[in-house]
Amino acid sequence: MNDGTQMIRYLAILLIASLICSCGSTDSDQQQSFLQIGEFTINRIAPDRTEVRDGAGRTLVLIPRDAPMPEDVEATRVVRVPVKRVAVYGFFDVTTLRVLGVLEEVLVGVTCPHDEWYIEEVKEGMASGKIAYLGDSSSIDFERLKKQQPELVLTWDHSVIPMLGELGIPCAITSTPTAMCLNARMRFVQFLAPFFHREKEADAFFDRVNGALVDIRLRTADAGPPPKVMWGDIYEKRVLVEPGNAWVGELVGLAQSDYLFDDVYGTSCIEIAVERFLYSGEDADILFTYRTTDSGATSKAAVARMNPLLEGIRPLKSGKVFAPLPHYVQSGDRLDEILTEIAAILHPEAYPNFERRYFVELPDTDPMPEGGRL
Amino acid sequence: MAVLIMMRRLFIIWNKLGSIHLTVILCLLLAVDLTCGYVCLNRRTTLFAPLNDIGLAAWIDTYGRYNLAYTAWFFILLGLLTLLCVNTFVCTTDHVAALMRTRALFSFHRLFFKFAPHVMHYALIVILSGYLSSYLFAQVLDTRTLVPGASMTLPDTKARINFEDFDPVYYRSDRLPAFRDRVLRPRARLLLTDGDRRRAAVLTANRPVNFKGYGIFLKDFAPKEKEGGMDRRIRIDMSIRKDPGVRFYMAGMLLFTAGLVMYLVEWFFFRKVKKEAL
Repeated sequence: MNDGTQMIRYLAILLIASLICSCGSTDSDQQQSFLQIGEFTINRIAPDRTEVRDGAGRTLVLIPRDAPMPEDVEATRVVRVPVKRVAVYGFFDVTTLRVLGVLEEVLVGVTCPHDEWYIEEVKEGMASGKIAYLGDSSSIDFERLKKQQPELVLTWDHSVIPMLGELGIPCAITSTPTAMCLNARMRFVQFLAPFFHREKEADAFFDRVNGALVDIRLRTADAGPPPKVMWGDIYEKRVLVEPGNAWVGELVGLAQSDYLFDDVYGTSCIEIAVERFLYSGEDADILFTYRTTDSGATSKAAVARMNPLLEGIRPLKSGKVFAPLPHYVQSGDRLDEILTEIAAILHPEAYPNFERRYFVELPDTDPMPEGGRL
Repeated sequence: MAVLIMMRRLFIIWNKLGSIHLTVILCLLLAVDLTCGYVCLNRRTTLFAPLNDIGLAAWIDTYGRYNLAYTAWFFILLGLLTLLCVNTFVCTTDHVAALMRTRALFSFHRLFFKFAPHVMHYALIVILSGYLSSYLFAQVLDTRTLVPGASMTLPDTKARINFEDFDPVYYRSDRLPAFRDRVLRPRARLLLTDGDRRRAAVLTANRPVNFKGYGIFLKDFAPKEKEGGMDRRIRIDMSIRKDPGVRFYMAGMLLFTAGLVMYLVEWFFFRKVKKEAL
């Protein structure tokens, strides 16, 4: 046997041994101590110390309410759990609190006025004064925020971190630079669960949504030819779409359909060139627009009027256009229903007599007003 | 006798570790492993990006171990690079020893320049060791966000970083209309204060600021364009590192450059002289 063959044999043994060693040390207990959810992580260091990494890559330390303050962490990076009072910027975070069953109990501040809410618990809380309107997200009233005494702020806005630091309020960034994949979207609730000691509720939600996905896969497995789908819109100065790595892109693929922006990678609502959008528009069967009926997307003709460039794309000429209903963005706790509805839109033959609740198919033209003309 | 046997075995191992066969096999395996790595990295940046923040040991214990299907190639890479370093060290040391034994055959200058490839090989080992110590021992402050006027203190010091102003360079050309008025070069003006001493610095992407032994890196910023967009409030996200590996790999790079210069001098001068003599 020559030197080279011997060497290959030694190296192969070494590599296999190192793999076995690294696999062997992963036991089931340790599996549960670290959980990665997209860019979020939960690392249970000890019974009284859990470290979480938020969407901005900041490490927060969760400790019991009566535990002494750890000396190795800045005070604004320590969150005492279960959190009793929380201020929230995004709709998705509010619906996540609803999934965890703590919404009425802990929510004390939001950045959206009373008349823009569709969630009854929030409307009632605002009416009773328990939940305060903190001002628009771009101009928060920090005096008001301080008065609400939140123990935690859930936000997507990094620029408030220094101010919250001065107020001594810890915050967690709940948005990520890269769009959440389907798994991260389903599991995000598990990221917030340790803040409120609601892990069981989070797991139950994940199982429910996972069940819906399994059902979608079964129903659409033998469905008809895969429709070609695009999700986005052209605005005055920009073209925004959902990238292929976003949960909607993955869902479309899972439901035996072609997502035409599968090659686009990055953040949610990512900006692309108008030519790229129109190129996909030539082939697409279905367009999901970001615009709601409230923002003028009442018909294909109305969408085309808002941006004449859209007029030539196939979904507007001979395909289908779907717009989210206004309450869609506040329905994150119904993720299983939303996923099922999208699958039903893509493959109506697999879901006979399906009643849509979150999206509306746009007619060719706006309905004529009664007894009048347009 | 036992000592002799042991010495003999060590000698065999030493020879095998310095073998050129091993070098070729390692290079082929590295190519295969890095190809696997390319596939595993694709669209899984979230798995590997934290390596920069939390260090190698913590990364292996968390992301690495729990995603072995996608990270095994990296563990194998570490093993292969370690073997390559050992192989390079043994091989180079053998050659240096041989050169020293035959030093009487060369003039001092000729001998000096004959060390060029070996200097480069040792430099490579220093660079790789630097990167390893960087990932093992760097003290990293994860994302720190500042808005204009806000400041932060470096740990265990009184040194402060104050974010004065954001003065980006925008894309002005019409060649790529979609990029017009987007930030080409984010420039954050910082005021670094340490007691009575004050220093202004400009932090941009890929140009960190060094202060009190810490490297300050621009991780993210907003806004990304002159007008429009959802994230309009000015902010910078910084990553701050105290990295003992930097000195190693900078020294390694200098050493490598010196070796390269020696090699070129040897190539262009001594070999030319030898050819002319022939």
